[in-house]
Amino acid sequence: MNGEIIAFCCEHSAYAAADAAGKQGLHYPEKLRVIRVPCAGRVDIIHMLKALEEGAAAVLVLGCEDGLCQHLTGNVRAKERVKYSGMLLTEVGIDGGRVGMFNLAANAPHKFIKIIKEMNERIKKQGR
Amino acid sequence: MPVKMGIFLCNCGGSLKNIDFPKVRENLEDLEDVAFVDISHNLCLEEGEKAITSRTLTENINRVVIAACSPEFCERNFARLLEKLRLNPNLLSLANIREQCSWAHEGDVTRKALELIMMAVDKARLLQPVERKEVAVNKEALVVGGGFCGMKSSLELSQLGIRPTLVEREPTLGGKLKELEGFYGSQREAMIKAVEKEENIEILTSAEVIGVEGKIGDFRVRIRRETKEILRTFGAIVFATGYKTEITAGDFPLKLGINIISQKRLAQMLQAPTLEASPETIGFIFDLSDENSRFPTLATLNNALAVKQRWGSEVYVFCKNVKVDSEGVEKLYREAREKGVMFLKFDENPKISADDGRVRIDAGDTLLGEEIALTCDLVVAEEKLLPAEGTEGLSSVLKIRTDSQGFYQEENVHLYPVSSERKGIFFVGNCRGDLDLGRVLADISSVVAIVHELLSPGKIMVEVERVKADPQKCVACLTCIRACPHRAIQLVQIDNEKVVAEISQLACDKCGICAAICPAKAIKFEGYSDDQILAQIEAIGVS
Amino acid sequence: MEIVVIGGGIAGITSALELANSGFTVHLIEKEARIGGQAASFCCKATEVCSKCSACLLPQRLSEIASYPQISILTNSTVVGVNGKLGNFQVEVCQKPQYISPKKCIACGMCIEVCPTMPKAIQPPPPEAVPYSYSIGESQCLYLKREECNLCREICPTHAIIFGQKPQRQKLNNVGAIIVATGFDVFNAREIGCLGYGRYPNVLTGFDLERIFRNQGSLKLSSNAKEPKKVAFIQCVGSRDENHGYCSQVCCKYAMRLARLITYQNPDAEVTIFYIDLQTAGKGFAQFYKEYQESIRFIRGVPIEISEAPSDEVEVKFENIAEGRVERENFDLVTLSVGIAPRKDSWELAKVLGINLEDDGFFDIKGPLNTTETNVDGVFLAGACQSPKDIPDSIAHGISAAERAMEVLQRCQ
Repeated sequence: MNGEIIAFCCEHSAYAAADAAGKQGLHYPEKLRVIRVPCAGRVDIIHMLKALEEGAAAVLVLGCEDGLCQHLTGNVRAKERVKYSGMLLTEVGIDGGRVGMFNLAANAPHKFIKIIKEMNERIKKQGR
Repeated sequence: MPVKMGIFLCNCGGSLKNIDFPKVRENLEDLEDVAFVDISHNLCLEEGEKAITSRTLTENINRVVIAACSPEFCERNFARLLEKLRLNPNLLSLANIREQCSWAHEGDVTRKALELIMMAVDKARLLQPVERKEVAVNKEALVVGGGFCGMKSSLELSQLGIRPTLVEREPTLGGKLKELEGFYGSQREAMIKAVEKEENIEILTSAEVIGVEGKIGDFRVRIRRETKEILRTFGAIVFATGYKTEITAGDFPLKLGINIISQKRLAQMLQAPTLEASPETIGFIFDLSDENSRFPTLATLNNALAVKQRWGSEVYVFCKNVKVDSEGVEKLYREAREKGVMFLKFDENPKISADDGRVRIDAGDTLLGEEIALTCDLVVAEEKLLPAEGTEGLSSVLKIRTDSQGFYQEENVHLYPVSSERKGIFFVGNCRGDLDLGRVLADISSVVAIVHELLSPGKIMVEVERVKADPQKCVACLTCIRACPHRAIQLVQIDNEKVVAEISQLACDKCGICAAICPAKAIKFEGYSDDQILAQIEAIGVS
Repeated sequence: MEIVVIGGGIAGITSALELANSGFTVHLIEKEARIGGQAASFCCKATEVCSKCSACLLPQRLSEIASYPQISILTNSTVVGVNGKLGNFQVEVCQKPQYISPKKCIACGMCIEVCPTMPKAIQPPPPEAVPYSYSIGESQCLYLKREECNLCREICPTHAIIFGQKPQRQKLNNVGAIIVATGFDVFNAREIGCLGYGRYPNVLTGFDLERIFRNQGSLKLSSNAKEPKKVAFIQCVGSRDENHGYCSQVCCKYAMRLARLITYQNPDAEVTIFYIDLQTAGKGFAQFYKEYQESIRFIRGVPIEISEAPSDEVEVKFENIAEGRVERENFDLVTLSVGIAPRKDSWELAKVLGINLEDDGFFDIKGPLNTTETNVDGVFLAGACQSPKDIPDSIAHGISAAERAMEVLQRCQ
């Protein structure tokens, strides 16, 4: 990889929002690579760290809004894992902000765009 | 069997001009296990289906990769097509090169398209078939709670051919209808008779549910009936356990007594054949501590109108907001006012004090902009609608979350109207919150439809081993069992000594939380396994 | 056995899915070019947490129903005749000319690129549309105005564009039951002229706001392209009045959720809600009410006049009841919380089906304990066409209608 942003997208919310963004002609940086998951709670720490190890600039986990997860706790668990990953990264001297968990709904493509662009700005500032 | 992959690329009528399809094909054709790479104009239409069909059959492939529009819409159709072609639908891998590639970016996106397809290709190599089979389910339903909701649900279930067992903790059926004898007495009797007459309904009174194990189609329920314990199996469970109302001690400075009563007490008084002296002035008060309930408005309007009709007393209602967001209530509100019921809306809680054997209310009327002092013969106190006794206990027995007010059913819009996070367990009526009659009726019909849909075929189609805990690796640490939000995992004994986690394919909702959380990485979620996800990660940037 | 569901909004979709899951073949008849109804254009109103508005259930249900083989979706269609009775209706459906066939359109967008008119006669579908296909507007299209133009037809890769179509009629036989799920009209705020809707650019309705947030992601005034700082919501516009003797049930909640969304996106914004009685009951709402009380200014008493103010602001004249006087205050934006009105074309369908309308104009029910059956055996009601409902209640009512239909059909066999 060469500075891509990997986004694990929950199929119920973020993936649908990404589709809606495309349909509405809303553009975002080409470096985004989406990996579809059934729930943000499927994403494990090893997945996030592996992505960074392979050369990703940043990793996003995008799940349903707080209180909206169809599996009740998936988005909550994902958030905890992302936080833990961030801690691990910081411990080894890597910016923990390069992994982030965000919440959105299927009908919120603008929020999807905002999240991607903000992470992109962050990594650009770091020179990635 | 060695992987033999067929790749279909769709250029959406030739409109995806920022992808160089011939170049993408060139890159993919070189791959060893790829039998062919076809470019099509429109895989979603009949033409495309024919192309996929003929190629798949003639080339004898065992993996299909399709790069086209979003799987949200086309995945199900392609999966169905594969099934028709005798290829397991799980051997399909999709790349979204339209909505999330061509349409999402300016300029040439050939590189990204190729990477997305490579992600799908690398995942496809690791895909395994997932078989489906029908599992028999118990066709009987358990209805817990013999009030209006429980009785009506049982009657409607039995009309649709489901045999319900109705469990009621009191010695008789009727629930809250008993309190409203004077208003609904005849209806209550008629309903109880109908339930008793219905052969399909088994009635167990003085009985309580004390334990629920198992899963949808196969719930093992322990019922305590008087001193005995009964063990029964049901396909689905409907809780219609109702609510309670309470006058919270702190809300009223004066104690309940002869002239400060509850709505229930007033209803009883109104139903009594004669009353020595009907009160001249009655005050209703609500919204003192909890403003977010329909119940006080509904009870007040009904009782106020009954008071006007039977006693002709002066009636005053003190509240913050009249809750009219239920069918017919605005009309009831108008009728009450037309009949002379006075509504005074306060911002700050009124002061309530004793006044020579009567009750004095001092309130600021926000509409008049004045302070009002009123002395009533009778005051009907604010009653809160609360979860019924035993809700907390039962919800921990069921391992199900309650909502922020303590009622059953988590406040998650995906669960509405009547579902819970455990498949096969449902909640109807006021046990899940503050509902008016219209909403209660909709709940009942909904649960009946859903239970009928689930149980009447007598079997449910499941994916065999979509999510499976490897008995070799599982150490029975119970982590997955605790983490599964759908309570779909239990420990089973597989041989003389070993106990391992088993994921019920009936109850599993395929979220993958267990697969992520297992410390031994013993759980494989086919289609989203660790190696299938890592393969996608590793495929990025390799071009 | 086949069932006809008239109306493809959330209630109709729900009924159709429930029936299909129970083994029936369903024909979903939709008047517009796409299903989804009113709620499909609503926005997400989450702040730090989901606000439980349920709008996001629409995209999910729409993608589900799009690939159900047992459900045939007929858009641009209306029911024009019904014969027979419960268990065996014949339903005549008329389909408007579609020009672009949704069965063939793959939404490639090549047609709109070549369309020569300005504004374009060809319109892309909104993102949530099912079927996701382009459409041609009769008023702009050169060909339809009898001028020479074949550009879109020539370029369409799937030959989906066919002019010279006439309305198509077809008869659906062997229909066991009919479910009416035609939804509602948004109350036309122009009917209350003194509120300025349609006259002042910065007077909008709650439904306008939903669409703006959905399509643009944020609220910017058309007059200055900036986010409004002072916003007012006026409740009960078209509800609880002389002509509408009911509460629309959705407005207080949507106003509060939108108000909170506005202050969440723009912490400098101040929102005032003018109300009669605040409707805050129902599952999931109490937990937010405290937050709303802290972030929104509530004034009891609904304003009766809105006038122009300098710089495109609007002046609201209202009663300060506590002080006992009339006040005037300027706002950047006034949102009219318009209510749910019965559809003006309900009477046409009522005539065709032989069902009644009740006093408020909604379809009438058999009795207070039976809110999904009509006076005609075999014709049922689902959703807001029967009485105002929010999304979760429409879903519950949709399932109820399906249940009632199944039960009645079973009894008559």
